[in-house]
Amino acid sequence: MTSKFNRQILGLPIGRRQVLTGMAATGVAASAGLAGPALAQSKKTGVVRVWGEPGPYGGVAVAAMNEWAQKNAPGLKFEIESIPWDGVYIKLMTDLAAKRPPALISVESPIAMQLMAEGLLAPVDDLVDRIGRNRLVDGVQWGYWGAWKGKQYIVPAHHQPHLLLVRMDIVKELGLGDPDTWDWNDLLNAAKAISQKKPDMAGFCMALGRNLCTDYHFAALLHSAGGRMFDAANKFEVAFDSPQTVEALTFVKELQPYMPKGAVEYSFLQVVDAHVTGRTAMSFYWGRTLGRAAEEAKPVFEATEAFNHARNPTTKRRSNWNDFQGWCIPAQNNPFIDEVRQALVYQQTSKDWLIKYCHSLMPNVAPTYKDVADAPELKEHPFYKSKPRTVDTYFKASLANSSSTANELLQGVNPLAGIVHGRSVLAQTVQKVVIDNMKPQDAAKWGAKELSDIRRENMRLLG
Amino acid sequence: MRPSYTLSDRTVGLLFIAPFVTAALFFMIYPVAEAIRMAFYSYNPLRPELSTFVGLANFEYIFRDPLFWDSFWQATVWTFLSIVFQTVFGVGIAMLLHQALAGMAIFRGLLLFPYIVPTVVIALIWRWIFNPEIGVVNHALQGAGLINEPIYWLSTPSMAMASTIMLNVWKYMPFVVICVLARLQTVPLELYDAAKVDGAGIVRRFLDVTLPQLKEVLIVVIVFRTIWTFNKFEEIYLLTKGGPGTSTFNLAVYSFEQSIANLRLGVGAATGVVMMVMLSLGSIIYLRVSGFGEDERAS
Repeated sequence: MTSKFNRQILGLPIGRRQVLTGMAATGVAASAGLAGPALAQSKKTGVVRVWGEPGPYGGVAVAAMNEWAQKNAPGLKFEIESIPWDGVYIKLMTDLAAKRPPALISVESPIAMQLMAEGLLAPVDDLVDRIGRNRLVDGVQWGYWGAWKGKQYIVPAHHQPHLLLVRMDIVKELGLGDPDTWDWNDLLNAAKAISQKKPDMAGFCMALGRNLCTDYHFAALLHSAGGRMFDAANKFEVAFDSPQTVEALTFVKELQPYMPKGAVEYSFLQVVDAHVTGRTAMSFYWGRTLGRAAEEAKPVFEATEAFNHARNPTTKRRSNWNDFQGWCIPAQNNPFIDEVRQALVYQQTSKDWLIKYCHSLMPNVAPTYKDVADAPELKEHPFYKSKPRTVDTYFKASLANSSSTANELLQGVNPLAGIVHGRSVLAQTVQKVVIDNMKPQDAAKWGAKELSDIRRENMRLLG
Repeated sequence: MRPSYTLSDRTVGLLFIAPFVTAALFFMIYPVAEAIRMAFYSYNPLRPELSTFVGLANFEYIFRDPLFWDSFWQATVWTFLSIVFQTVFGVGIAMLLHQALAGMAIFRGLLLFPYIVPTVVIALIWRWIFNPEIGVVNHALQGAGLINEPIYWLSTPSMAMASTIMLNVWKYMPFVVICVLARLQTVPLELYDAAKVDGAGIVRRFLDVTLPQLKEVLIVVIVFRTIWTFNKFEEIYLLTKGGPGTSTFNLAVYSFEQSIANLRLGVGAATGVVMMVMLSLGSIIYLRVSGFGEDERAS
């Protein structure tokens, strides 16, 4: 009831569930202007398992694939299986080890690149040709999603940066200035001012738990400071024990008093909860927070805007974490490789389906192709109308600051990043500082040793 | 003359035991043997073709790893305190339930509830119960005026350990109660009558009659509960994932992390082997020291 009421208040023409239900029921025709040649019909039968992260967009993609199946493989049904973010690594590894992987996986670039370097994925260069090599939005390259030794292994699903979400009503009330101009000191001072002047509200929130979200949040700070885990240009030698890592860890420690006390166990969901329920005025997060707020807390939605991250005072960098989420096809124990490849091309060449994909959780999943990003239909969404600057920051303006552990500071693909996240090395390093009160210098050394172990144990991935 | 289809007692006995032996071979002996074998190999499940024999390297690794020792001490604390509280409360509640009161059967039935509900359900419910902002525990404590600030049950190392212990005690105390209650119901009432005649009060009767009668069952219960608690994985993992930091890691969580998150299955297996040896030795020593089975041997 509440969410329906809120959608009406917000003037949303349609809810997320309705989007999915409507698509399944009506089988909206896809525009096939860019579609490649159709193959002979597949006579295979069964369920094609597709893994995706939680969220309606995986369901939209699978709906498109089922539309392809209805025409070309009537015996097949694509089914989405949502894997919780924090469980994705373990779920992937155990199912791959058990030789029953899904037929298609939507996953973030660090894990995709590990699988790619392990030789577990099927190359997709011919698919890229059919999808359109020149379609990518400005500022990105195919390799950001996953290319290794001259071959492309990942097809883009979306790009997805986490940014600085700010309750502008609070910031304006306290006269804290324009968050778009802030550096780290300004962010710290704003968090402090809000914590002191707003009872029951933290100034800032990021994940500090032993989980993937903390890895991703901290990586943005590390990269803003100019630090890295590995040096891609120098045989992936560990570069973590550095003044930049110490600076980023010190900044987290300085911010901690102005975060919710429970932040030391927060992961993805808790950070969203803290923002949507008004327990924090600012947070690091992807666009999902706005989608949740629109459904559950209209005043929070209306007051929240997203900005590129505060600048590091020295480097002036505003690095974010961008998932560069892509589709990958397991090469082994996968009976549906041919069908998945065709269905993927069908979905990727349908502008309608790709717009629906983005619309299903605005502005969490950003378009990767120019024809989609520039389509007038994409802007036919209430969020685009009510928050054009925020949506454009997620979709376009963030790209100049993109980074991730899979491609640190966009200086080279890193096949070790997935293992780093599997072991929560960054999160553990942060926790050494915020829980164990270890000196940032010592924590950086501890993290560097863990990364050295990973490098030593996985030299085979480096080629 | 016996019918031709009649089997000898020995054959019947073997047939009866065959299903168990088969199941044990597949589900106990083989996994244990495979774990022992794997403890001497470097094994990445994604690249099984790269498996290599490494001798004692996995054991050297864990004995050099500070996290292994942290996990060992944390497992010891978690096990010791869980067993102490389970035993104390279990005996106390069993004695209360031993009273002949109307409706006692209902209480005995309700008592089993925590033991019956799946651990995953319990852990998720307790995560909400312990939620610092909206959890019922903080709400009740604040409502009663006992605390002013919310307690962050799962966010500080000491409170997280206390919370996991509370969960374990709550869930498994019914097992202790049932075992103790069953034994209490077989204690001859004449012993209490004789003690009363001798002038023994309620405390003296408990110490000199009840406890000695419960000794054997408590020894068994404590051994089993110790083994099961020391090996426990799902409660800790579901409630705290071993955190905050690694403050609630026990050896089972450590083994899981090494095996799955770190893809070092050999190290995880070596941890399991070490746990098996520790618990076997501990159990043997405990049973010897506690004098379990002395009565039978004496008779």
